[in-house]
Amino acid sequence: MGLLTDPSAGQGKLTKALLKYYTKLCVLLYLGGIGWLCSLAYTPMNAGTYFSENALLPGLVKSEFREDGTARTFHDELLDEMKKYDDSIPYPWLLAKFKQIGLDTYTHNFTLHYPLGKPQKFTGKNVYGILRAARASSTEALVLSVPYRPPLSVHATTSPSIATMLAFAKFANKEKYWAKDIIFLITEHEQLGMQAWLEAYHGTTCGNEGTLNHGDIKGRAGAIQAAINLELHDTSVGQVDIKVEGLNGQLPNLDLFNLAAKMLLKEGIPHTFKNRPNKNLRDPVKDWYYSFQTLMAMISTQATGIPNGNHGLYHRFGIEALTLESVSHNGKAGFLSMGRIIEGIFRSLNNLLERFHQSFFFYLLPSSERFISIGLYMPAICLIAGALFIKACANWCQLQESQIQDDSEEKPKTETQKPKAKPKRKEPKDMQKFWKDMKAKYEVEVKSYKPPDPDSINFVSILFAFLMTHVIGVLVMNSPQLLTMLGGQYDFSTEVSLFSGFIAVSAVLLLTPLFVPFKSCEKSMAVLNILSLLELGTTLICISMNNFSLAFFCAVIYVPLALIVGVTRCRVCSGIKKVVWLVAHPLVVLTVTVLTYTHVMFPGEKLEANFYRSLAATQQAIVFSIIDSMIYGNWLFSVVSSIFIPNWLCFWIVAFSNIQPNEEIPKKKID
Amino acid sequence: MPWFILTSKSDRFSEELLIKPLYSDHLYVHFQFATKWDTNPDQESFRHTHIFPRALGEIIERYNVQELHVSLAGGLWRYETWGYPILDAAPGAEVWAWFKADTEDVDKNWKELASSLSGLLCASLNFINVDNSVNPEYTFKPRGVVSDQKINSTYVRYASLPREIVCTENLTPWKKLLPCESKSGLASLLNSGYIHNVRYHSIAIHMRPVCRDDACEFTSLELQQSVSLVYDYLIMGTKNWSFRKLFGQGLMGPCPLSENSVIFVDTTSNVSVPFQLIPSPDDYITSVRGGHVSTFAKYNVKPYAMSINANYLGKESVLLNSPPSLHANQYITGYGQERGGIVTKIYNNHWGALEVVVLQNIPWYVPIYLHTLKIDVNGVRVEPVGIHYIPGRQRQRPYHLEILLKLPPRSVASVSIDFDYVFLKWQEYPPDANHGFYIGSAVISANLPLARNFTGLPQDGATIADSFNASRRGYLVQVRTENMVITLPTPDFSMPYNVICLACTVVALAFGPLHNITTKRLVLTVKDNEKLIVKIKNRIVKAWTERNSGSDVNQSVQ
Repeated sequence: MGLLTDPSAGQGKLTKALLKYYTKLCVLLYLGGIGWLCSLAYTPMNAGTYFSENALLPGLVKSEFREDGTARTFHDELLDEMKKYDDSIPYPWLLAKFKQIGLDTYTHNFTLHYPLGKPQKFTGKNVYGILRAARASSTEALVLSVPYRPPLSVHATTSPSIATMLAFAKFANKEKYWAKDIIFLITEHEQLGMQAWLEAYHGTTCGNEGTLNHGDIKGRAGAIQAAINLELHDTSVGQVDIKVEGLNGQLPNLDLFNLAAKMLLKEGIPHTFKNRPNKNLRDPVKDWYYSFQTLMAMISTQATGIPNGNHGLYHRFGIEALTLESVSHNGKAGFLSMGRIIEGIFRSLNNLLERFHQSFFFYLLPSSERFISIGLYMPAICLIAGALFIKACANWCQLQESQIQDDSEEKPKTETQKPKAKPKRKEPKDMQKFWKDMKAKYEVEVKSYKPPDPDSINFVSILFAFLMTHVIGVLVMNSPQLLTMLGGQYDFSTEVSLFSGFIAVSAVLLLTPLFVPFKSCEKSMAVLNILSLLELGTTLICISMNNFSLAFFCAVIYVPLALIVGVTRCRVCSGIKKVVWLVAHPLVVLTVTVLTYTHVMFPGEKLEANFYRSLAATQQAIVFSIIDSMIYGNWLFSVVSSIFIPNWLCFWIVAFSNIQPNEEIPKKKID
Repeated sequence: MPWFILTSKSDRFSEELLIKPLYSDHLYVHFQFATKWDTNPDQESFRHTHIFPRALGEIIERYNVQELHVSLAGGLWRYETWGYPILDAAPGAEVWAWFKADTEDVDKNWKELASSLSGLLCASLNFINVDNSVNPEYTFKPRGVVSDQKINSTYVRYASLPREIVCTENLTPWKKLLPCESKSGLASLLNSGYIHNVRYHSIAIHMRPVCRDDACEFTSLELQQSVSLVYDYLIMGTKNWSFRKLFGQGLMGPCPLSENSVIFVDTTSNVSVPFQLIPSPDDYITSVRGGHVSTFAKYNVKPYAMSINANYLGKESVLLNSPPSLHANQYITGYGQERGGIVTKIYNNHWGALEVVVLQNIPWYVPIYLHTLKIDVNGVRVEPVGIHYIPGRQRQRPYHLEILLKLPPRSVASVSIDFDYVFLKWQEYPPDANHGFYIGSAVISANLPLARNFTGLPQDGATIADSFNASRRGYLVQVRTENMVITLPTPDFSMPYNVICLACTVVALAFGPLHNITTKRLVLTVKDNEKLIVKIKNRIVKAWTERNSGSDVNQSVQ
């Protein structure tokens, strides 16, 4: 950076080149980044999956599971039992079964205090049994979990997976080779029950304190190494989909994914990823396009940061987990195959000597047999974010150059003043004369005082404005409870009060540029622009470290818009920029995304009905993201409200730079 | 004359086997071997021993040991469903010893004692060191007779190795300490192929000085050796057990050196889950102890082949588990690798209040914070009766925490304390660094007023027969909790490998040019302006001629 900040080096070749070509460079970097990611779906550009952990020894043992008859009996009994419980778990039956099998059986109660709107309370109860391994002292455990769905549930039933689980438990409890306890967990209320159980197991709260009261559990089995979430919807399984995306875009270790894929392959059940089977198309373009679609499906799921199954909640606790979901109903495979797959996976996991640490934790999958490692996909986001840094650099250099020019213009003035002061200051002989001189000097100084140059950079106020926008962001992040309380007083629903509240807040925030004092100072605005560019770039890189997909989507949307917004002299340009940046408001982006999605999902509908449907969906999306952040600790809402909104505001202020065209300095082009 | 030889010797050996069906489809099998030697432990030189194992005698003499307790266990004793064992043992290895009051350097003796025991039992007890041992103030009082009324806890040491895996290699040397080894007697049933396929197995050695008679004028040396096994009917495949199913063989008579050789089968559960014993026992014993009645079938081991079978008589009745008065478990809270907590939950199912001592020996790499110690009883914060805390020091001393608690009737107490995850030096990680690091089990001691679910030996007894009708004022239990495994921040150990690869590549790349520059002379050549085609033609012609002419021609050309 010394090269760039040193004014004397401003004439350097590099700087000149940067100033000359940075616009083209930015466009090139942006397109290059997108192109890079797109090309990664092409088979020769990515790598085939492989087992990194030798201890897994996948599929080396002969399957011994033969309890499919038992599973069928369990399933019939369960179906009968389920008729008695419309909206809850048949606890007595499950507990009795667990006990008969010989497991340590426990229940777990939890309570949800709904955080928004009127105080509401929901309760739930999970059931679990622990198979105590003969060869260990309950220091490590594996989990097999099934979300229970009562007949009234909107989701497809999971009763076959409960039957499979029980049959597997019966089989496994007779074996003496287990070195890790196996926890068989049946959760209620989908992800809520899962989260409550995990929190209780680890004795912590992940979301807001007091929202989800996770209660306490009695039976534990040490550190959980891995978990499989089983969702079979029918007794016959055509193909099985492997789901990996977890909370905040976390993924399980690639070895676990490979293990599941290998076991499914071994049993001859076709497996899919994102409901797309592997195809080896001969035409490279078609092949690329097919893989690219799969890749984009994964990226869009991961970007939301919402787990697409109960497995997603384990990842935070350092537990590798995935969901196996049966997809098509009329298949050949049944309880026997599924039991053997579970057996294979658990026996492999049982072999593990160390916790999963090899292989990859950060990857993208263009198919279930190929993967893109972090080293391959990071350049894409770095290139796109690099465009922001390049522009920031270029703007800074421009600022430096104009500073030098200003200095050279001002210098003659100061030099003419100096000779006047110099003779007076010298030879203060006696005190009286000294005081006289001092007085005269003071008077001269008072006379010669002029207010600070409005054209100079006022760093204090820039930083203050920058800080204030972020304070506003934090306030927005903490506003939902207040907004719903206010809305609740006027009998608005949570969704409406939040949505309208955010719109109102956003509308008020649109006025912030009015309170910025340095609007007319071009340099100050340029500095604010540089700061905002740097912040956006850094944020994108940071997010990509955790959730690449989210960062990539944000980058694709925001980077070109942020590159366009800047200090300008032209009135028309300024107007266009304001409109463009208004479109980039997170709220607008969300609404437009949901609108498009709704339009695609419900194509035959009337435009008006479609619009209302998407509006409702947007409102719900906001509520869900807030609830997710409060219960599960999903940070999408926090990141958007505490970083993207302030950043957006900063750019918004920049877009309102009010530079007088008459003050024109030639040869200045800041854009 | 044999009679004279036997009586002239001052040591006696007895072997016993207890078989007890547990609630929850498990079978508890306990071998108890006791040797009592009427010799003065303070003056005995162990130059000549009769029944007492000399190998052990030399060790205790050399390191000035007054009392020694070693246990090696695989699996976890499930107090909640199994009740109390005859002898408690923590998962992994556990050693505690009292040294005589005239010991100069206890720490040195302790270290050397552990190393010697390591050789004696083929266990990694040599990893016991000052940095993982504590001297418990309250928990481990001398079990035997003490001459000095004042007990100074600076002479006791306790350590556990939770990671130790117990198997055949420990059992074989342990059997060699028995007078008949495994050649005859009950010890011949200890068939490694069978007794390690169980839910829980432990071997133990307990040595202590005891009173020779009631007057207690003289002291004797007592050695208890025991094996505890818990079989699972599910793994066995049937509920009907026999010696053949349990041990793979029958019994070929008693150990000739033993004074008595008996087998007891607990038939208390016969009321609810009836089973028939074949052959029928020699005797039935009814024991009333601490308000609890139990019946035992007794077999005297006769000098010919015998086996005991138990056949369950179809009638199954559902049993309700009544957990014992006191049990506990322990777990880690929190996630991530920054901060965590250790929680010990103690359940008092007794109708009266219980006073317990909780001992935690926490390794130095798990720095705990005493100010975060929180004790909740039934959700209400309480203050402990007393705390004995010695903070750990990195690489020198573990964190030693002993808490005295009074548990109200029918209560659950949870003792929680927070700790930090620390980085270790890279050489301190074990080869399987990502397996995690172990924290040993907590020991919760209490004197129970009732003997429900209690099978332990009385303090004045060494044999199972001593525990019949042995009502005392209190019944000491020392409940061990689970071990815990935590994942410390672990560096990527493949990194040095990557660095080596990279460095080697760089060296290799640098070496070529450097070697070229330093060994070859630079010679000016005339730049030829030949055309490309001519060049290729010349090359081909040259290669052709070289191929045709022999190597000698080639050399001469050069």
